[in-house]
Amino acid sequence: MTLPLLVVVAVVLPFALSAAQLTTATFVVIAAIGATGLNILTGYAGQISLGHAAFLGVGAYTGAVLGGDHGVSAFVWIPAAGVAAALLGAVVGPIALRLRGLYLAIVTLGLVFIAQHVFFNAGSLTGGPQGRAFPAVQLGSFDFSPGQVLDLGGVTIDSSGLYYFLGLVLLAAATAYAWNLRRTRPGRAMIALREREAAAAVMGIDVGRVKMTAFVVSSAMAGVSGALYASYLSFAQPGQWSLLMSIQFIAAVIVGGLGTTAGPLLGCIVVFALPSLLKQLPFLPAEGSGGLSAGDLTSITYGLLIVAFLSFEPRGIVGIANRLRRTGNGSDVGSRASKLTVTTPEEAHP
Amino acid sequence: MSEFLQLLFQGVALGSTYALIALGFVVVYRASGVINFAQGAMLLAGAYTISWLATDLGVAFLPAVLIAVVLLAAAGAAFQAVVLRRVSGEQPFVLVMMTIGAGIAVTALIEALFGADPRLLGDPWGASSFHVGAVTISWVKLWSIVVTVAALGAYFAFDRYTRWGVAVQATAEDEEATLSLGVPVRRVHLITWAMAGALATLGGLFLAGFPASPEPGLGDAALRAFPAIVLGGLRSPGGAVVGGLLIGLTEVMTSGYAPSSLGDNFYAVAPYIAMILILLVRPYGLFGRAPAERL
Amino acid sequence: MLAVRDLSLRFGAICAFEDVSFDLAKGELLAVIGPNGAGKSSLFNVLSRVYRPQTGTVTLDGEDLLARRPRDLAACGVARSFQNLGVVGELTALENVLVGRDHLMRAGALRSGLGLARAEERAQRDAARLALRIVGIEDLAGHVVATLPYGDRKRVELARCVAMEPKLMLLDEPVAGMSAAERAAMTTLLARLHRDEGITMLLVEHDMGVVMQIADRVLVLDFGRPIAEGPPAEIQRDDRVIRAYLGEGLAVSA
Repeated sequence: MTLPLLVVVAVVLPFALSAAQLTTATFVVIAAIGATGLNILTGYAGQISLGHAAFLGVGAYTGAVLGGDHGVSAFVWIPAAGVAAALLGAVVGPIALRLRGLYLAIVTLGLVFIAQHVFFNAGSLTGGPQGRAFPAVQLGSFDFSPGQVLDLGGVTIDSSGLYYFLGLVLLAAATAYAWNLRRTRPGRAMIALREREAAAAVMGIDVGRVKMTAFVVSSAMAGVSGALYASYLSFAQPGQWSLLMSIQFIAAVIVGGLGTTAGPLLGCIVVFALPSLLKQLPFLPAEGSGGLSAGDLTSITYGLLIVAFLSFEPRGIVGIANRLRRTGNGSDVGSRASKLTVTTPEEAHP
Repeated sequence: MSEFLQLLFQGVALGSTYALIALGFVVVYRASGVINFAQGAMLLAGAYTISWLATDLGVAFLPAVLIAVVLLAAAGAAFQAVVLRRVSGEQPFVLVMMTIGAGIAVTALIEALFGADPRLLGDPWGASSFHVGAVTISWVKLWSIVVTVAALGAYFAFDRYTRWGVAVQATAEDEEATLSLGVPVRRVHLITWAMAGALATLGGLFLAGFPASPEPGLGDAALRAFPAIVLGGLRSPGGAVVGGLLIGLTEVMTSGYAPSSLGDNFYAVAPYIAMILILLVRPYGLFGRAPAERL
Repeated sequence: MLAVRDLSLRFGAICAFEDVSFDLAKGELLAVIGPNGAGKSSLFNVLSRVYRPQTGTVTLDGEDLLARRPRDLAACGVARSFQNLGVVGELTALENVLVGRDHLMRAGALRSGLGLARAEERAQRDAARLALRIVGIEDLAGHVVATLPYGDRKRVELARCVAMEPKLMLLDEPVAGMSAAERAAMTTLLARLHRDEGITMLLVEHDMGVVMQIADRVLVLDFGRPIAEGPPAEIQRDDRVIRAYLGEGLAVSA
């Protein structure tokens, strides 16, 4: 019902936005791929990870080395970015196995710092502290480089638009994958793990395998997201794959609604469109003049958003939407959720 | 040899500061199962408050420190009462995320209020030092060890010999049972967070001491105390102290001896690497025990 | 089918139970009862591999259960219920039961995510629905468990256990915390599962009424030691049992 409408809106959107707005939208869509991964790891499987930025970074540099330094096609380096990040996720998996909750969170914190350390020092791959250029996507004859323009009949799509559509396609694929997971064995196992870790093993769930799967899948998505992100930026420094970036993703999945289908995208809209929105606030002093900067205000807002949502609506924006829908219809709690939320299998398989 | 002794002294000094910070984490975690990711922000707030009182308002140093400790203790308790109590029934994950959120907001607020440039701490020691043999003992670092020992002593005495200390231990063991015994558990939580604020302030004071200074990056330095609590076992105050010392020593020794092939600033990640390696062997830290699970 | 010999468990100097031996034949329902602190729960936890006993053996159809880890229990054919409710609130009743089928499924994240495991998923859903039907709550299949009342949640958990197609079901105080009506319903359900489905069960229970109604045999523990074993009617009249529950001086001869 609402899905075709969403698709239409998503496809038409770039043509209705200004260049700056389209840039933001493109970043949002690309980030949402990574957020979908984190949603699986944290929203489904309940594993706290502060290390998401590390997987984005690994994906980005894989893309850069393969695509930029070795001229490999984007059809290869984009998936390769996912695979490389997944491999790192597979390394973290066994560690997650041995550690519970908060110990794991701190280890992932270490992961972010260690990864950044490696990025800063592996100059030949990453350009060191100065950073490096990242290759633009080239799919066959479509060149996504800045300045290139695609002519389809009467419709022109510029570089931003191309990245937007590519991001959208990959986001749709990632979301469909996550949705499938949720309705089948792995998703159920992850949620059982999240809610009842101690009992899950006795129920017959292979806890090790489930945790491993969650890490591998979420890092793969993060890797693809990171590669696209860096490619779109065309230049990035190691300092960007920071704890703050990990926290932005955590904020996005929380604000959007942990474990929900629409949550990652909704959360990214809030979190990644926030800086550009805040920059336009009239009372901010000019950049660089000291006092409250847009960056500070953004951080303060992230922090407050996380606190506020967790206090009042842990199910995020989706949770709020659900509540509004329920009070509107007066329908049963829980058993009649729409497809935008946690889908009950009965709706998927009537 | 003298270089080793020098590094040893500095490692112990840094380690004692980490021990203070780590203790602040453990105190909160034991009572409520929450890892206070806002500890770094509290630490920063402590250092900046001292700096503001001492340099901007001209308050004498010792009173400035005491006032800051009290203010941050109150702030910690207030955060618990106003924010955390609302969600006290939720899983630890939610509470942790809230502290992360609060931490981000506070850190950014401090930077907004005071700017990003380093400030003067306003302490009377500055860069002064004296020599014992070939080793330079800086007054700041010496005081950090002294204050840490005093603070730890006070904490352990409180924990063991006062009513409130016992109440904290009891709440940590079993909150419901303690509540049913008539212990004002709410007040216990306030006390724990107040202690966290106080310890964070002291930690911030010494982290911001020469050659460092109060600046926004201190919050990240506080994160290096995390390996300390993990190593020590999240529930063990004694473990936190040992963990803190270990991490301080690791950091300083690495900065002194690490080969350049490991990269610049390897000392900053060495604690995390050490932590991960130790956790692989002992998943609950050096002193931690597997928590009892109620099936 | 289940053979327990000379089982004992100590926590440091404290003895939880000792010298426990009994057999459980296929299709039987054995209830383990005893006053508070008798060691029932500890025994249960040893059987479900939560604690490791100091002495003794536990064999299921000849297989040494003590050599297996908790996660192997399902594969060994043992299903257990949890006192703290082993249901996942966020999932629906059907999904909860499907969790019980997890160890019988093979689809991994790759195939599931790509939508390639539909056949297995459909088959398992049918099996899960059957389990719900057996327990009598098929109409609750699509309900999110967190919205269900306590009694229904317990039944969902039971359905999950049934869905595991276990050789042996270990039930941890199945009627704890229930109202009289819920208790009666649960007792009838357990009796039906035992009689009609022929499921072998071991119950730890406080409620005498339930035990008398459905148990084939009863094992009584007191202060960690077995003091009586036999059919419910005998146990009810046994002096030692009465003394254990009511204390010395109140024993009444049959």
